[in-house]
Amino acid sequence: MGIATYCVVMLSVFPSIHDNKSFAKIFEAYPEVFRKLFNVTDFTTGPGYLGAEIFSVIAPMLLALFAILWGSDLAAGEEDRGTIDLLLANPVSRRRVVLEKWSALVLGTLWLGAVLEGTLGLLGPLFSLSVGWAGLSAAVLGSSAFAIAFATAALAVGAASGSRGLARGVATALAVASYLLSALAPLVSAFQRVVWLSPWDQALGHQPLTTGLRPANLSVLGVVVVVLLAVSLWSYDRRDLAT
Amino acid sequence: MRPSTLATRAEAPDPSRARRAGTDATRSEAPIALTGVTKVYRGGGGVRDLSLEVGWGEVFGFLGPNGAGKTTTIRMLLDLIRPQSGSVRLFGLDARTDAVAAHRRLGYLPGELALYERLSARETFAHFARLRGGPDEATVENWARELDLELDRPVRVLSRGNRQKVGLIGAMMNEPDLLVLDEPTVGLDPLVQRTVHRRLREAATAGRTVFLSSHVLSEVAEVADRVGLIRDGRLIAIERVSEIRARAVHAVEVRVGAGAGLAALEGLGGVTVRERIEDGLRLEVVGSLNPILAALAGLDVLDLSVHEPSLEEVFLSYYDGIAR
Repeated sequence: MGIATYCVVMLSVFPSIHDNKSFAKIFEAYPEVFRKLFNVTDFTTGPGYLGAEIFSVIAPMLLALFAILWGSDLAAGEEDRGTIDLLLANPVSRRRVVLEKWSALVLGTLWLGAVLEGTLGLLGPLFSLSVGWAGLSAAVLGSSAFAIAFATAALAVGAASGSRGLARGVATALAVASYLLSALAPLVSAFQRVVWLSPWDQALGHQPLTTGLRPANLSVLGVVVVVLLAVSLWSYDRRDLAT
Repeated sequence: MRPSTLATRAEAPDPSRARRAGTDATRSEAPIALTGVTKVYRGGGGVRDLSLEVGWGEVFGFLGPNGAGKTTTIRMLLDLIRPQSGSVRLFGLDARTDAVAAHRRLGYLPGELALYERLSARETFAHFARLRGGPDEATVENWARELDLELDRPVRVLSRGNRQKVGLIGAMMNEPDLLVLDEPTVGLDPLVQRTVHRRLREAATAGRTVFLSSHVLSEVAEVADRVGLIRDGRLIAIERVSEIRARAVHAVEVRVGAGAGLAALEGLGGVTVRERIEDGLRLEVVGSLNPILAALAGLDVLDLSVHEPSLEEVFLSYYDGIAR
């Protein structure tokens, strides 16, 4: 709901920017550093506006935060609340519990991404803003993949430690670091060599809204997710669970 | 399975019960067999070298003060925590590697019962019934009626006793081969407590097994066949409840109309005269009261009082020395 509302507000502002040529001039006047950091490309075109306003930071980060909160609760939540004793007394393995909860998280995150895409894609034309479905899908998919990767990182920390707070903290910090690495890479030459390490860069660095889907980059994230999931299952399975 | 090592620590289960249940092929292996189990925590606490076998059709009471290792033992049975050494087997299955198969046949009530606060009792049972493949709704409703539990209110508004009922029904509703109950009657009113005890006895009579923990012997003694006493992480005694009872010393005071027959009491086995009073005796009787009652039958008894020390006193005073 929050994400959808935000999108509607952003979309409704677009016509006034679109018709106002002075906006373009304002941004041309901005220093190079600023434009790169905030991903200001072309504010007055549809994809440019969405890219800057929604997909530069807000949408992927909101999606990721939502997924991280969920992911940190997957393994550590029931342990923290004590209900894991009752749950595991049933004929279900720890692995199955984690896998099923993780599957729900993936579906939930994709569902939220679909809501985002639907809102932007259907309401965009009403505000004379048109983005191709392909670009939009690519951006939403990239954002969802980013969110799922860090949610799975939160799951892994929670599964190994049993602490929701730690899981949340570590995953959020990594997500922000990954964004900063990608955003600052054009400015800091040292970052340029390692920017490929940033899941953010893999998911969103190529401006999917305008350049479309890049399966190779998404599959890098897929590998990361699979590895993290395996670590989660392994560490959760071998550990004593707290009372 | 190493029954020979168990026999040194634990009494073999009652053979008559074992025979009654033993016809079923799935009941050939002991429902619970712990061998040399050690689980020590860094801050101290835990259990050391615990060996114990519980047989079919038996109600076993696991007794000890708080912090003695009861919950640690029970959570190892459930594979929630793992021992550092020793083996934990349920129905002959490894408690860890065959956890799913073992859990299909057991019901568990945790000591620190945490429930899904937003679900109602009905939804909680439905959730577990989906995972277990039963029981149906009608069975759940029968249990709720029997224990007087409101099924449709969210668990978070329930009282302590009612929450405990949710936990108990969750454990018992499938009539599992093995019930593992950590402090089952905490918070229950006496009436419900009696119902639960009756249900546990019925389960044992049907050849199923109950393993329950408590820190109150009188409660355990009411329902259990055998009692194991754990202290500071060590199992220091296993006894039949009937034997503990037999060791109890009763203080008996008898007053009679004519003092002539009293001499007959003095010669009885297990009877010691503590004090002679004007028209009677103060006695200490070890074991059964039947001989003394028989002797009194021919006398003109004016008054008879029997004070039974609590089983607590009997059991704990007996083992006080061993534990320290």
